[in-house]
Amino acid sequence: MFDKSGFPFLALVLSGLLLLASCDDGPVKDGPVVPFAAIEDTTLKDPDNPTVKFRVDMAKVEHDFPLSRPDRMKLNPENLAAMTQEQVDQVYGRLTAGPVPDGVYRGSLFFARGDSVRPLSDDFRVRLEEVFGGIGGRLKGKKIELLEKVGRGLWKGKVFYRDKRILRNMIEDLKPFERIIDDPDGIMTIKIPRSGWLGYILPSNRVSLLFPAKLFCGQSLMDSRRESIIIDYLFSDEIEGYRKSPDSLAGRGGLKVRDEIRMVRPGLYLGRAYANKLFLLNFVLHNQELAEQGAEAFLAQDPIAEDCWSGEQQRSATLQ
Amino acid sequence: MRAFIQKATVILSVLIVCLIGILDENSNAQSSQSPGFEAAGSHLTPSERAGREIWFFATAFNDRFFTYSYPQRLGATIDWYRILAAKNRPDLFQAWGAIPNPDCCVPGADGCPAKSMDETFGFPWCPGDAELLKYVGKTGYRDPACDFGDAPFDENTPHGKIDQRQSACDLRFGTSTGALGLRKFPNPRFDLEQWLKVNGSRDNWDGYANPLSDDPGNGDSRVTRLFDGSVEPPFRIGMACGACHISYDPLNPPADPAKPEWQNIKGLVGNQYSRVSQMLGSGMSPNLLEWQLIARSRPGVVDTSALPMDTVHNPGTMNAIYNFARRPKFSHRVLKWRKVDSCSQESPESCWCEPEKQNKCWKLSEKVEEVQHILKGGEDSIGALEAIQRVYFNIGSCGEQCWLNHVPDLRAIDPNQRNYGQTPFRIGQCRRDCSSFRAIEDRLANLGAYFFSERPTDLWKARGLSSREELEKQLDEEFGEGSVKLGSELFARPCAECHSSQDEPYEAVDFHAVDPKDPTLRIDFLSNEEPVPVTAVGTFAGRAMHSNHMPSKIWDEYAARDLAERKPLEKLKEITKGSGRGYYRPPSLLSLWAYAPFMHNNAIGPEICGRPGSGDDELYSSPYVDENDKPLANPPACVPFDPGVEGRYKLFKDSMRLLLNPKERLRKVNLTDHEIIFDVTPDIKIGDTEASFSVKVPKGYPVVLLNSLRFKDLVQDVVLSSRNPEKLVAKYKGRISDERFETLKAGLEQVREVLLKEAVKFELNIGAADTSFVQEYYSNVLNYVENGGHDFGSDLSDREKNALIAFLATL
Repeated sequence: MFDKSGFPFLALVLSGLLLLASCDDGPVKDGPVVPFAAIEDTTLKDPDNPTVKFRVDMAKVEHDFPLSRPDRMKLNPENLAAMTQEQVDQVYGRLTAGPVPDGVYRGSLFFARGDSVRPLSDDFRVRLEEVFGGIGGRLKGKKIELLEKVGRGLWKGKVFYRDKRILRNMIEDLKPFERIIDDPDGIMTIKIPRSGWLGYILPSNRVSLLFPAKLFCGQSLMDSRRESIIIDYLFSDEIEGYRKSPDSLAGRGGLKVRDEIRMVRPGLYLGRAYANKLFLLNFVLHNQELAEQGAEAFLAQDPIAEDCWSGEQQRSATLQ
Repeated sequence: MRAFIQKATVILSVLIVCLIGILDENSNAQSSQSPGFEAAGSHLTPSERAGREIWFFATAFNDRFFTYSYPQRLGATIDWYRILAAKNRPDLFQAWGAIPNPDCCVPGADGCPAKSMDETFGFPWCPGDAELLKYVGKTGYRDPACDFGDAPFDENTPHGKIDQRQSACDLRFGTSTGALGLRKFPNPRFDLEQWLKVNGSRDNWDGYANPLSDDPGNGDSRVTRLFDGSVEPPFRIGMACGACHISYDPLNPPADPAKPEWQNIKGLVGNQYSRVSQMLGSGMSPNLLEWQLIARSRPGVVDTSALPMDTVHNPGTMNAIYNFARRPKFSHRVLKWRKVDSCSQESPESCWCEPEKQNKCWKLSEKVEEVQHILKGGEDSIGALEAIQRVYFNIGSCGEQCWLNHVPDLRAIDPNQRNYGQTPFRIGQCRRDCSSFRAIEDRLANLGAYFFSERPTDLWKARGLSSREELEKQLDEEFGEGSVKLGSELFARPCAECHSSQDEPYEAVDFHAVDPKDPTLRIDFLSNEEPVPVTAVGTFAGRAMHSNHMPSKIWDEYAARDLAERKPLEKLKEITKGSGRGYYRPPSLLSLWAYAPFMHNNAIGPEICGRPGSGDDELYSSPYVDENDKPLANPPACVPFDPGVEGRYKLFKDSMRLLLNPKERLRKVNLTDHEIIFDVTPDIKIGDTEASFSVKVPKGYPVVLLNSLRFKDLVQDVVLSSRNPEKLVAKYKGRISDERFETLKAGLEQVREVLLKEAVKFELNIGAADTSFVQEYYSNVLNYVENGGHDFGSDLSDREKNALIAFLATL
């Protein structure tokens, strides 16, 4: 049963597996808040595989449809999560890494949503049942619900330690993991403001810090033209506070999780999670306080710190 | 006397260059740092000299590619310290086939400016390092390329009379690593404190490059910190084109290949000893798929299309670049960017002017032009200069800016998602977005001039004889009276049809004729350069199945528009054919005596190998197999590298004998020497439930079949066969017969049954008998014997074969 193991990344992995069997469900609803290029480059045809459909080259997307700062101010965790995967990709490709974050960022994850070129169900549960239940008959019903809960409910975000170039993930409820955690009493914790209606009664809650990772500037696995901030779990065993169980599940002996993020605007980062280089899902990291503090200067075109290599493709000064 | 004059000339040239260096205000220019290099090119024109310097030293900013993109994006790592460490310098040539830079020294050795390995982080000391080493871990390094002495600007182009070339700094020279063609740059992100923590001291990279565990049973024994992007090495290593093309001059080889002088070195002869493929895999465990994709090839060949992930196993030789002025040209429909002085109202996608420059504009247009066929199948076909520019992408330049987004992600298996397959590189975008592209492009005329300057290396000259006639006497003595003449007659009959650029009747052709205006230039390129169907020549088909220049593929824009119109070869059994594939360009036979073994993959002839002092870097493994593709128990030994004149000559004769006697050739098939498991998805376990999907390749499986497997197509078809059969029909309609399609469907059903049986943990063993259909339908290369074919001449008598060998030695 799941009380023997399990953590958010398991949900991430399983969502990746469902990409294997992507099929013909309908696209999600439209309603872009920022400009996008076409969802398909119809000028290209693969002579070896006529079923392949092509996307618009990212350099062209950015050249023809640059994202202005007012555009980026329109983006928020909610409307990003409602986008199709191609739209998310096009947003991500038009961002730069920005500064390496510092402090607490709340997180929320969302899965790939299809469009008419690449239909995917937007119903996570249906997909998992279809793929795993359909083949093995082993993974369905309550198990899937729990996975979804783990992924969306327990992972609260990340705490960045910019100077040390490391981070830790915030997990709200350790009960599902208790039996597999080494020395549960010694886990680092942090208090964060509570969200939702409960926050009016209990303004903060304590979260545990698990799954440490290294932070560095590195290659995006989706858009090569400029670096992203990489969150890498491969060598996390060298980080203070690391405990083999459960932290190793994300590391090189486990799922080899690697995230990458780019800054949408101050206080908001868009991320992509991979396991063993397989794309799993998108996530956003949000620090409301920093977002509010930095909004005015951002719109006023104040320069933004770029800690990573920002490439050579020229972007209009008003867009940077 | 001759030797004395040669030596005196070199000394005089060095003195002149030193004087020029003293007078030249560009005292950091690469040429002034190496008087020996400059002297060896002193006979060239200024334009040729500039081209040579770029060829030897310019990396065009690919140090970022090898440091970051290669491990992080493409999943492969290079252990530069293993290759280049000063302590390993004696093995540089024997282990890796790399050519030692005569200007570099081992720290602590007599006369070496660096007194300890600590100063150089374990690397050799090379000219320019006194400055470079100050900037390890810092910004502000001024690249020696900034002081590059440009050749005179050509004022007679539409770009006008103002010299507006891109800054030479963007050529990015750095300093030598100790191996010619490999350059180092100070890494501004280097953190000494972290480095010491990882390695213990400054003088080695052991902690960075060695496996984390010595225990073979521990997964960490296959992991190194080369994959840890948080650790920044002191140097970023870049590669110049010369890394594969610089080698020992057949006319003047070094007495000791580990200690050459500049006069032993040439930039365009092609390095037939290079283990660059193994270098590219040197940081990886052989258990990894990526290692098998990159590192399984013999000396002197490299699969340049492996980086763009074309799933075609096609390593090819780094052949000599000789006599290009007489290389045949052909009329083709060429769509490319041409220089113009302005753009009117056209879209930037078809006409573009460089910002802040006057009249430096380019227009995309299609014209019928006479162009050379470049690459093994003639695929680079929009012009020689554009082909030279494309070499820089093969070595990683502008990777991030321009082409990595067009390379598939091995794990993206949905055909409608980004990075599923190749997409076309856009020359216009790269010009706009990569300053190093412009730096090279603005000097292509210099590179072209250098290319056109090189001449064949005749055996009679290599032997120090006074004339070719004297060589012919020697050959007649060796092979029998009249051999050369008889060989010439035999060559004229069947061989010249492909291996001459002159016109029939070949009996009347002088294959050695020279241009009266330039007696160093041969009239005959010794290849007609016409594409020949691989089914006619019968050699290993991998390189002919090259697909990167097809429509929608990465180098589409470097192909003439009519390349894809070549007749599809019905005899090929592969499903993926046509669109220009299936042809070979006959290689030039100029200086054939110096370039054995033969064929585009160096497979016909004895196997050659280095003999490094350190057994750890012995990279040879026998490719000899029996009729059942099992390794031979007692295979022939490999022939040690010998760049000397007689060593080359002997290898030529031995290779020719195997070429003319196909029945004496032992089958060569490189086999996997480890079991490979490629995890398409992670292997996970949740409680009592497991889920994974992986492809397993057993040990002893032909490498070509692994490297040429379109596994993404297979995955797509398994899904389509059960979920969207109509789409599967549409995918194959018109490509295979109805009967073959039914067999495919049955095979897919078989795979699906295995999948169902295995529940959610699924491992596809592509070596298993019940998946044999997989190769038939999903391999890009079905003919996997590497040294078959080209049986021409096998019916000659022994006397005739010897005569032909004798004649070929004169070419």
